[in-house]
Parts: sequence; structure tokens; C-alpha cells
Amino acid sequence: MKISISTIVLAVSMLIAGSSCIKKDNYPGPNASLQGNIFQDGTSSKDLVQTCTGNFSIRLEQLDWSSTPTPQDIPVKYDGTYENSELFAGHYRVSIKGGAFWPVAPQEMDIRMGSKLDFQLTPYLVLSGFTADMVDSTTLSIHFDMQAPIDAGVPKVLEMQPFVNTTKIVGPGASIFDFSDANKVAVNKDWANMSASDKSPTIVVSNLIKGRTFFVRVGVRFDNDDKSYNLSDIIQIDVPK
Amino acid sequence: MNMTRTNKLFAIIIMGAVVLSSCQKLDIKPPNVLSDDQLFSNEAGIETYLAQVYRKLPIEDFTYRPAGRGSDGGFNLHHEWEHFYHAGGACGEMVGPYGGMDIGGGFGYWPYGDIRDVNYFMETLPKYAKNFAGNTVNELIGEAHFLRAYYYFALAKRYGGVPIIRNVQNYPQQSIEDLQVHRDKEEDLWNFIGDDLDSAWNAMPETSVSGRANKYAAAALKSRAMLYAGSIAKYGSLNYVDGDARAQGYVGIPADKAAGFYQKAIDAAKLLDGKYSLYRKTADKVINFADLFLDVQSPENILVRDFYGGEPERMHSWDATMSPNSGMNYMTGDGLSRCYPTLETVERYGVLNVTNPDGTPIRYNNLSDLWRGTNMEPRLLATIYFPGETLRGKLFDIRRGIYPSFSGTSADEVAKTSRTFVPSGDHTTTYPGDPSMTIIGNAGMYPSSGSDDNTRTGFYVRKYINYKETDIKKIGLFSSTTHWIELRYAEVLLNRAEADIETGQLDDALVCLNDIRDRAGASALTLADMTADVVRNERCKELAFENHYWWDIRRWRIADVLLNNARFHALMPYYIHDEQKYIFLKEPESFQRNYNFDKKFYYEPLPGGELNKNPNLYPNNPNY
Repeated sequence: MKISISTIVLAVSMLIAGSSCIKKDNYPGPNASLQGNIFQDGTSSKDLVQTCTGNFSIRLEQLDWSSTPTPQDIPVKYDGTYENSELFAGHYRVSIKGGAFWPVAPQEMDIRMGSKLDFQLTPYLVLSGFTADMVDSTTLSIHFDMQAPIDAGVPKVLEMQPFVNTTKIVGPGASIFDFSDANKVAVNKDWANMSASDKSPTIVVSNLIKGRTFFVRVGVRFDNDDKSYNLSDIIQIDVPK
Repeated sequence: MNMTRTNKLFAIIIMGAVVLSSCQKLDIKPPNVLSDDQLFSNEAGIETYLAQVYRKLPIEDFTYRPAGRGSDGGFNLHHEWEHFYHAGGACGEMVGPYGGMDIGGGFGYWPYGDIRDVNYFMETLPKYAKNFAGNTVNELIGEAHFLRAYYYFALAKRYGGVPIIRNVQNYPQQSIEDLQVHRDKEEDLWNFIGDDLDSAWNAMPETSVSGRANKYAAAALKSRAMLYAGSIAKYGSLNYVDGDARAQGYVGIPADKAAGFYQKAIDAAKLLDGKYSLYRKTADKVINFADLFLDVQSPENILVRDFYGGEPERMHSWDATMSPNSGMNYMTGDGLSRCYPTLETVERYGVLNVTNPDGTPIRYNNLSDLWRGTNMEPRLLATIYFPGETLRGKLFDIRRGIYPSFSGTSADEVAKTSRTFVPSGDHTTTYPGDPSMTIIGNAGMYPSSGSDDNTRTGFYVRKYINYKETDIKKIGLFSSTTHWIELRYAEVLLNRAEADIETGQLDDALVCLNDIRDRAGASALTLADMTADVVRNERCKELAFENHYWWDIRRWRIADVLLNNARFHALMPYYIHDEQKYIFLKEPESFQRNYNFDKKFYYEPLPGGELNKNPNLYPNNPNY
């Protein structure tokens, strides 16, 4: 096929017409990162910041462009760490969103590649002395104690419950309903009104399946804005065949 | 054919002209858009204008989708047939296609364009007053106040305080800074709605054509809106999420304002005394309650939205999406169902006793023995189809499966991890050894892992089902023309009774509730029964599936307690083959869904796009 001048003119003119739609974007990509740990206040221990995925998160608000930015949240993982490696560099306000901890003030910081920020948090209640023992072939008895690092102002305790799952990722939103939510115990008391036995409860999980392995923890839920939980550590239970 | 060089050049010139012509501005009035001079010249023009406003009104009718449909929003959707995306199906009134409590964030409803149309109407109509005789202009302005209040009511119950725009805004005549308005306080917004409805009441006529509001619609809406405000003041002060928006009054109303709002609800409701009455045309109370939703002449209807064929048409698919098609045009000629009332809803009318004192399930000869000849409330039977009912000559022969034999108690059976009943995923497979009996029946239940298209709870919705249309072929998608009753007198009585009880006016509440219960075929209550729980339960029963339940459990601030990782239940019918009897077992519904309500959902988040356009809308609602 012979290409005529007019065809070329047409092609070039359409290219010119189309090129006006292209805008050069020379902004840097999301090459910054932020990671960190959640420690129990005054320690370097993450053991008592008992959490699970989705229980609470780190909230970022980029202040470079707007004083009212759209927030983005990084979930805190169940090992007490968090990380986002695809952030835009800039000046951010970093705060804790959710979780059953005494509030800490937001921090402002410049986030660049490799930025780190650790938090020191105090849980409303520490769930200690957690034991889970099989009392017969399919029944599990769970016992734990609650202590308040700070007594005054703990939100009302709404309920407590075991969380049972088949993996180590176990907690609210990651548990088997019939063993977990079905054994929920209503409390509905202020911390100050809870008796010694209220603070040292026993919960029974029955009809576990023989021959299976489960991971178990307990949670105490508060009537705060997020209705969030303090959680115990995790015990592995092997139900005999 | 060989094109000449001239032809090609000509073609290029034409194309160039086409490309460049986009720079020309057309300065001719489009002939298909009506001008103010035409619209405001006579009542026909006004009807055209208002028809558009009514069409866009945020009425939660059959077609409403509480979480929106993609980017289309949730109101007045074009070509919407999936009516099983019902708000009740996301909060335990029913269970359905929502995977859980999936509607808490709404869909970003933000109808300021529509509100502008109403404000424009209010500002423009007086300029053309000479075209209208008598009191017409005054009445129409009153109607506009009603319409504006209706939009703001839909906003207030979602977001709390939003900007109150009373006048038409113009750009570029007004600067961006002027137009970036702040939120108003929630209390002020509810008061503004009340004031608009007072203006409507004062100006509107007593009667109106079907589909348009009269002054009693304004009073009825006011009773609803003020009741909402009262309960938000009272219960929102006890159960709330803290945050900047609350601290600044954009959400939340001081508790001491509750009584005032409740009294306004009562006063507005009383304006309808003697003007409307509960539907009582048929002596049979089941038929009567079913017909109340089908009879366009009902004296109970205060404001309806009509659905109709013809050109243009506006039809819905309620009939084809709430009854079993079973993949074989069983009770409907097309469509499918996917949303089913829960046992919890059914037992609001009274606990169903399907178990003997020793814990074994009661044996029934027929499915219908569950309800026929019992004292089950007529209103319940008119609201929900039970196993053993008939529709269009077809039986709700619902079975989940067949037990070869059955022994032991209901509780033990439901707790078993492995059960012996025979299920089926279709309606043709017969029980082994008995070719006369299909396993699940024509309306029956598929296995949990199977299709969602038949009941998962044992029940189907009856309210608004047009049983009078007996030709199954005519029950298809977009073939239903049953009107939607947006405001009916029973709701007004319930608004009044609830506000009465909240303010200690128990005698008046008793009269209202007993009127409703008499029509429902329920026993009369006494003064001792006049508690918040009783009036709430009555409301949930009377208004079931009418898109009230979700808003009610929100404004009572009990949704986070009711939907605390909640699971809902079914009444599963089974046949015992060796006994030739039916039993019913109460067990988890077979979607096995979890419903969880975060406290922050007591308010929806302001739409992100609007926050980006107008930073003055911050602070957003708490915890978003």
C-alpha cells in the first residue's frame, strides 16, 4: 500500500490532537516506609500487648497537603509489629486507632524510607495466669485473672469470652463461633464494682472435637468506642483422640 | 474504487473541521429543556417540575438498596430488580444475600442537587404567582417545604448534622469560600426539619392526588422525624462514640431535649385524629392485614408511591423476588428469592412451641398443623408465609430433608455434628424407595452449600405479595405494580405510642396500641404493659419488612447489642419417613452468617468525595 502525504498529515494531526491528553507526572512514587513495635509501657516486652490482626491499628494522616487528610490505617499484627513499605514520603500525624489501651497522644513525624516508630501502651486490663486444661475428653476449662495497671477510669467491662481457632492466629474475627462466641459471658460491670471472683473467672468450652489441635485465648471486652478487647496469650490444646 | 487526491484532501479538511468544532460554543436554547417561563406558567408545568422531585425523593421502597448498587447510589435505581438486598436482611429481621451487617456505612447519599431543585422552586414560583389562582402558590410552597424536609430527614438519620441549605447557591456568582459551608448541629437540623414540616402543615391542602403529599403527610412525617430526634437525644446520650463531631454537636443531641422532641411527635400525630383510620375492610383478619398493602383505597394510606405500567413505566419485582421460583417457575414466572424472615422475627409475635415437654419434637400430620387452628396472630400469618400455606394454588411444601426415622430430643439432634436426614439440591429427587415423595418439596430448602434461591429459614415474606394475581406467568421481573405505602396511619399511631411511653403518657399509648392490636387480631394490652420494650416490639411486628427495623434499632441505640457477632435462626421442617409425620427444629439459619454492628455505625461517615471538595465539613463522624 502506498502511503500518501495526506494520510501522514492525518496521522500526525491526530497524534497532536491526542497528545494534549497526556500530562507529565514527575511526583515520586510511594518509596517511604514506616514500621515499628508496640511495647507494654515501660518495658521492651511485646508479650503483654496481647493483640490479634485487626484488633487495633496505626492511623496515618499526611499533613503536607491538607489539615484534614483522609486517614490510612496500618493494622497491628498479632506479634505486636506493624509495617507499611509503600508510603509516600512526607509529614504525617501518627496515632493509635482502636484497641483496649490507655490513650497516647498522636505524634507528628517525617516519614522517609526506613522510618521507625515504636509505641509504649498500657492495656486497660492485663489478663494473666491464663490456664486451659482438659477436664474430660472434650471439655476445656479456662481460668484467668484480670489486673488493672491503672484502676481509675477503666471502661465498663461488657463481656468476656474464649477464642478458639485451629491456627495461632486467634482472636476476635478469627475464631470458631460454636466454641468461642457461644461461650460468651456477659459482665456489664464497672471495674470498680467487680468482685474478686469476677476478676478471676473460669469459662468452660465443651464438645471440642477429639483428635484436633486448637489454639485458645481469652478476651475481655469493654464498652468503649470500638468495643475492643484485651486478650490473653495463646495456649495450644491437643484434644486426645 | 480509486480515491482521488482531491477527495482525500477534502476528507482531511472535514475531519479537521470536526475536531476544531468542539471549540465552538452553542448559544441556542435547547428545545428539549423546559424553561422557567414554560414550567411556571401553569399547573401542568408545575406538575412536570414536581414529578421530577417526587421521583427522586429518598423513599425506601421495594427498589431501595441500603448499601447502594455499585456507584449508582441506593435510591430510585434504574432497572433494579434485586429486592432481596433489603435492609432487614443485613440486621437479622431477615437473612439474605448480605454477608453480614454490610450496610452500616451507607452509600454516601448526598442529595444537595435535589434539595437545590426544591429551593429553586421555592424562590422561583412566587415570581410567577400571577399565573395561579387562589391559594395555589401558597399550597405549592408548603408542599416544597414538605419535600425539603423529606430530603433532610433522609440526611439527618444517616449523618446527624449536615449543612442546612435554605437558598439556591450559585457558582461562579458566589465564591468557593462562600460555598464551602460548615456542618450544622444535629439538634438544629432536626429542628429545621420540624419547622419545614410546620410550614408545610400550615400551607398545604387537606387532600392530594395519589403519589403527592397533603398536609397530613407533613404531620405524619413530623411525628416520625421528631420521634427519631427524641430517641437520639435520649439513647444517643447513653450509648455513643466520642469524637470531635460529637464534642461540637454535629452528632448527638443533649438528653434534656428528648422530652420536647417526643412531645412534638405526639402533637403532630394527633393532627391526624379522625382523618385517617386503620384498614378494616374485611372481617377475616389475616386477609384484611394482607389486603391493606394491596388496596390503593385504604383509609390508612397517607402517602404512597405508585408503580405502574405504560409509558413511562415504573414497575418493581417484589412478587418475583420474595416467593419461591424453585428454578421451575413454581410460584412465580421469573426471578428468584434470596431473603428470608428469621425465627427471631417470627417469635416477636410469640414463641413457637414445636417441642413436647420431654424435649422431643412434636409430630405433625401436615405442615399446616403448625399454624392452622391455632391461636397464632393473624397479622403474623399475613406478614410471613409459613410452611403449609398456599399461594397461587401452589403449596409451600417446605422440607429441609427426610429422616428415615427419628428418636431423641430436638436439642440433642441439633447439636449433633453428623445427622441422618436425607437432603437434596433439587426438587425432583425422590426419597429412596418412595417415588411418590420428593425430598425437599417444590418450595423446599437446598443444602447449606447449595443455591440460595429458596428459603434458608423455613419462611418467606408475605407482606406486599400480590396473592390476587393468580396467573403465575404474569409474576415476573418488572411486572409488579403494587404501590409502596411510605406513610401509613399505623406507623403514626406507633410513633405516638412510643413517644407517649417515653414521656409517661401511658393512657394515650394504650389506646393507640390497642387499636393496632385489635386490627392485627392480637389480644388487648393493659396499662401495665406500657413499657418501651412492648411498644418497640409492637412496632417491629406491625412494620416488619417496611424498611423501618434498621433505623429503629439504630435510633434506640441497641443495634450494637443485638448485632454483637449475632447469628440468627430458622425453623426447619423435616419429614420422618417411617412415622409419616412432620417435625420442626429450631436451628441456625443455613447461610450461617454473623452480624456485627460497630458503634460508629450509629452515624454513617460523610462521603469522602464531599469531604475532599469541602474541608469545612470536617470533623467527620466519630471513629471514621
